[in-house]
Amino acid sequence: MSHLLRRASFGASKDELARFRTMGLQGTIDDLVDFDGVDDGELEARLASQETNIERQAHLQLWWLQRMAYSKRPLQEKMTLFWHGILTSSFNKTGAIPAMFEQNELFRRMGMGRYDEMLKAISRDAAMLIYLDSRTNRKAAPNENYSRELMELFTLGVGQYTEDDVREAARSFTGWQIKGKTEFLFNERQHDFGDKTFLDQTGTWDGDDVVDIIMQQPAAHEYIVRRLWEFFAYADPEPTVVARLVKVFSGSQTEIRPVMRAMFESDEFYSPRAFQGLIKGPAELVASTVRSLSIDTTFVSLRRGVEAMGQELLDPPDVSGWDGGVTWINSSTLLERVNLANAVSNGRSQNLTFHPGSLAGETAADSEALVDIYVDLLLGGEVADVTRTALVEHAEYLRKPTVSSGKAVPEDERQRSVVYLILASPDYQLA
Amino acid sequence: MTLTRRQFIKSSLAVAPAAALMPSVFTRAVAAAINQQASVGNRTLVIVQMAGGNDGLNTIVPANDDHYYEVRPSVNVLPGDVLAIDREVGFNPALTAFKELFDEGVLAAVEGVGYPGPSYSHFQSMDIWQTADPQKGGGFEGWAGRYLEGLPAGADDAVQSLALGRSLPRALFTHKATVPMVNTVAAYQLQRAPRAVADQDERTQALLRLYGTGAATRSFGEHLDATLRAADSSSRAVQGAHGRYASTVEYPDTKLGKSMKVVAEAVTGDLGLSVAHVSIGGFDTHATQLPVHGDLLKDTADAMLAFYRDMQAHGRDQDVVLMTWSEFGRRVTENGSGGTDHGSAGPMFVLGTPVAGGLYGERPSLTDLVKNNFKYTTDFRQVYATMVEGWLGAPAEAVLGGQFEQIPLLRREAVAS
Repeated sequence: MSHLLRRASFGASKDELARFRTMGLQGTIDDLVDFDGVDDGELEARLASQETNIERQAHLQLWWLQRMAYSKRPLQEKMTLFWHGILTSSFNKTGAIPAMFEQNELFRRMGMGRYDEMLKAISRDAAMLIYLDSRTNRKAAPNENYSRELMELFTLGVGQYTEDDVREAARSFTGWQIKGKTEFLFNERQHDFGDKTFLDQTGTWDGDDVVDIIMQQPAAHEYIVRRLWEFFAYADPEPTVVARLVKVFSGSQTEIRPVMRAMFESDEFYSPRAFQGLIKGPAELVASTVRSLSIDTTFVSLRRGVEAMGQELLDPPDVSGWDGGVTWINSSTLLERVNLANAVSNGRSQNLTFHPGSLAGETAADSEALVDIYVDLLLGGEVADVTRTALVEHAEYLRKPTVSSGKAVPEDERQRSVVYLILASPDYQLA
Repeated sequence: MTLTRRQFIKSSLAVAPAAALMPSVFTRAVAAAINQQASVGNRTLVIVQMAGGNDGLNTIVPANDDHYYEVRPSVNVLPGDVLAIDREVGFNPALTAFKELFDEGVLAAVEGVGYPGPSYSHFQSMDIWQTADPQKGGGFEGWAGRYLEGLPAGADDAVQSLALGRSLPRALFTHKATVPMVNTVAAYQLQRAPRAVADQDERTQALLRLYGTGAATRSFGEHLDATLRAADSSSRAVQGAHGRYASTVEYPDTKLGKSMKVVAEAVTGDLGLSVAHVSIGGFDTHATQLPVHGDLLKDTADAMLAFYRDMQAHGRDQDVVLMTWSEFGRRVTENGSGGTDHGSAGPMFVLGTPVAGGLYGERPSLTDLVKNNFKYTTDFRQVYATMVEGWLGAPAEAVLGGQFEQIPLLRREAVAS
């Protein structure tokens, strides 16, 4: 259960965990996947009470991190995060206009729908038109930026098309421009209406035709299924798993939701390869920490930590998004993760308060019991023996009088210290 | 079918623990050779990545060639604006710092650098440059990573390699060593608890215990353990060097300038630094290239100049060589967006007191093109070979997986023997 919630949600609070455990695994999958009927009014009211300037990156980061931490449709936010890493764009290039907000909402709206429709929408999306220079793609001398990445990173993967295909697709997207700040405009005068030969098919193709031709390629179906599996389950999936999900994807006119359901219902998703087989990304790590510990925050003091751990939301390092996986962990980002554990576990500020007593009781608990409460909440009860032993030893150490003061530390401090070690542990970095 | 970069990184690391126990043939060969070369102990190579694909044609500009203005009717530098190098070419006007260094005879430029069968994908071409393997598969390790694997272990607190930024460049991937990665010095430390909850040492020891024993039981366990331990020791070393460092040289207030300063602290702090990697991004100039590209070139050259002056001020300039690279140059012909699409060959720059400044290599032809792209004239591995063997004194063949003729970029007395 905790494994599923780490992947399809951003962890779970104590109350959520109890509720999902009552519902059982299948009930939880249904609740997470079929989220359209789930009321998220509380979150929307919370966000409506804040002043969010949708043209500002920092504002939107706070807005989005709160969605990840507090939404009752966590998979919708997880999908949005997934798509942001695939069909990515950046504030760095759009500047202060609402384009990145609109793109983020597009992922939220269409993220579980048909992929061909999503591609046609993203090809008209202002942030994308700016980010990959489509808006200046003109008939006389086409700009190849969007056309290349559409195939290399969004659909087919390198090696599945030729340089001529790049040029011909670029011609097909000529004249796709922007009116005003973010409105799509088809400029006939800049569009090349001539014949193009793209992936061996000849016609007077435009951008939508290019998407349709791409989505006729089996390689595109395999590519996106792989990317989904690698983000939610584990790297380098077995061919049989990919083939099974490709069948689901192709059989549902490239709809994503059935693929997600099939993934969460597959045995492989719960196999030893999958268990703790991914590294939590920074946004995931921070949002799930807040959710799991029932911390009430606007993320104002946590936002920069996400960036320092290597994931500046809405400003990816390049057009391939974030490499993720093991590359999340280097000496700098791991220090940031450990330091985040320090900041959160000691949260006593107005904007970031962590109340250990509300989760584990105010009175000095037996060290094993104390560790187990937090290990259950933060690690799903599943922890390496060596980790648990080290945690219990530390909790026990803190129960005894210190050398310097001759007194034991207050129970509140002791619990914070245990939570610090769990959040800083190698186990907690894994999803 | 070749693996994508993403598949490669993931599948390679999945087998890392086993591979880590088996030093490659390369590793042993490199170690054997370096051990015989005590004379190069203090030498540092600083790799400067210009990410996104630098437009070489507007970096060293053939301002007296009419063909240049035919292929670049608007995305060009005018003859009156270039900083003349010789009768044929000049630096982009943003490169005043390079011009200054070139005139001092410490900056070399190798023109037309590329490789056979160029890839126009950023990521594939970056992999090729970083693994030094144009076969588009490559090994897991980066070329500098292979060099580091062969380096004899330094002192316990040595920082033999250092990368600046958020994400470790593949050039430094290695199975054996954890390459410290620093973003800012201020953030590069283990924070203490705000109140004295018992003693801090016990807390830190408890943390280190968590990262000391779990390798066999968890995925990524070895990587996590090794990284935390490297973070702990290297952060103390980097903080120490930062505390000892003093300089009158002012670095540009840019990301690259700040990165270069951290490298300077590591060099002057005698941390045993052998290879450092810094990077500046944004060279993917598909649209409105001119102002953007000028700023990027200026940021690059100004930061390198400040670093060089700092090394001089500390009397360490004879110990350090800098080398730039970019995954490709840009299309010779401009596009309709005031920019240029992905291309092939471009120049590399090598800077330092040990460098014999000047122009090297053969300028690629503006008329003999392949689909509007340059034909490369120098293989990038020749420049790498010069750095690995000529400068760092390690056998280039073992590090690069083949023999590549060195280029005489180094002053004779500086060549490792």
